[in-house]
Amino acid sequence: MKLSVEFGRCEGHGLCEEAAPELFRLDDEGDLLVLYDPSAEIPSGQEPAAERAVRVCPVGALWRLDHSQAG
Amino acid sequence: MLSTQIPESDIDPYTDESILNPYDAYRALRDLGPVVRLDQYGVWAAARYQEVYEALHDHESFISGEGVGVTEQLNKAQHGSSLTSDPPYHDLVRGLVARHLTPKALREVQGYVADWANRLVDELIERGEFDAVTDFGQAFPLAIVPDLLGWPVEEGRERLLDWAAAGFNAFGPLNERTVAGFPLLKEMGEFLYRMSVPGNLRPGSWGAQLVADAQAGKIANELLPALLGDFLAPSMDTSVSALSSMLWLFGEHPGQWDLLKAEPSLAGNAFNEIVRRESPLRGFTRLLTRDRVLGGAELKAGSRMLLLYGSANRDERHWDDPETFDITRPDAAEHLGFGHGIHGCVGQALSRLEGKSLMDALLRKVRRIEVGVPTWRLHNTIRGIETLPVVLHA
Ligand code: SF4
Repeated sequence: MKLSVEFGRCEGHGLCEEAAPELFRLDDEGDLLVLYDPSAEIPSGQEPAAERAVRVCPVGALWRLDHSQAG
Repeated sequence: MLSTQIPESDIDPYTDESILNPYDAYRALRDLGPVVRLDQYGVWAAARYQEVYEALHDHESFISGEGVGVTEQLNKAQHGSSLTSDPPYHDLVRGLVARHLTPKALREVQGYVADWANRLVDELIERGEFDAVTDFGQAFPLAIVPDLLGWPVEEGRERLLDWAAAGFNAFGPLNERTVAGFPLLKEMGEFLYRMSVPGNLRPGSWGAQLVADAQAGKIANELLPALLGDFLAPSMDTSVSALSSMLWLFGEHPGQWDLLKAEPSLAGNAFNEIVRRESPLRGFTRLLTRDRVLGGAELKAGSRMLLLYGSANRDERHWDDPETFDITRPDAAEHLGFGHGIHGCVGQALSRLEGKSLMDALLRKVRRIEVGVPTWRLHNTIRGIETLPVVLHA
């Protein structure tokens, strides 16, 4: 499973961090840090968390690349 | 499984009765099917969570650029705002409005908002009985938002509430409520036009910065009124509704209030649960640009879809026990009360900041919230309390 992280749309609401703390974090400045290689597959075991992050991002900044149906 | 049979219904979400008690009509629509045709208006409605979510996240099929209201005639008048545009233009204007409203940008005003919240709660404790809407729900955004935008001191702010109400009524059908707001909308348009003239908004304010961007050629001058409107109208009635509901829900559910007092870290989730259970925005529409299947229903290009957020947030197919107000609900963050996807409410961080600051102040100072019986507003698009007596016991 791969995600597209659209930094241009990310507004730093941080809901992805709550859903998938191993994958996303807001730094002290409030900017989004991606804690894995975003061009690679989601680390194994983290897929459900990644799916939750995609689902809750309120502004559509996270997308599943291998799956066109959002949710 | 595909089926072309889309149930038709004569349920009218915009009668006085459906507005005062929307949840029965919503349930009936959900039970009819994933997509229902509303005969009265010639639009299709999605009332279940799954389909509302899916439509919001497919912004290429379900576009906003042709307006997000029910009435085509009025949709035509909505061009230019971030709310009623599609990429790539949308991304540009959204960015111009969003840059002041991200959680990061709002850190700068956190202290200012918190001070205001503390003062308001102190004053209301002193006062004894007050009204949840005028004295609490309206007082707060009305003090904060025009200030941040750079509203000139000599212009009365109170009109803003009437303008915002008229603007949101116009997302509904062309009924008396909508028509009654036309003179107000004209007045608001003229005001925003005046504010677009350089020098009329407080230097250094959010609004003044937009005007400066237009002068620098980054955005077209004609778009300024719509963009300034993006800040104002949506920040009023929606926040007023959420904040008044906060008092009502905690007053009605003292157990939840005690729980929050014992565990203040639940405040963020509690705010989500308030917006889920009493969604201020009933819903917006989208125009479908291609033939598409939604929830098994085959929809034709050109269909206008009403997406009922308030209903999705109570869909028993998605939520356990959706009628229950539960601040520990594990999935409360999944609510669609702010919309979702690329048009998700641009002011949601400010709304959360307002809610959180008031909740913090109440938590620190108030032992018990006593509420009377609410009356509900008659409004096409906003679901909210009209009046509610409250006493805060310190
Ligand atoms: S939830 Fe979305 S907007 Fe918020 S930080 Fe994560 S990616 Fe960015």
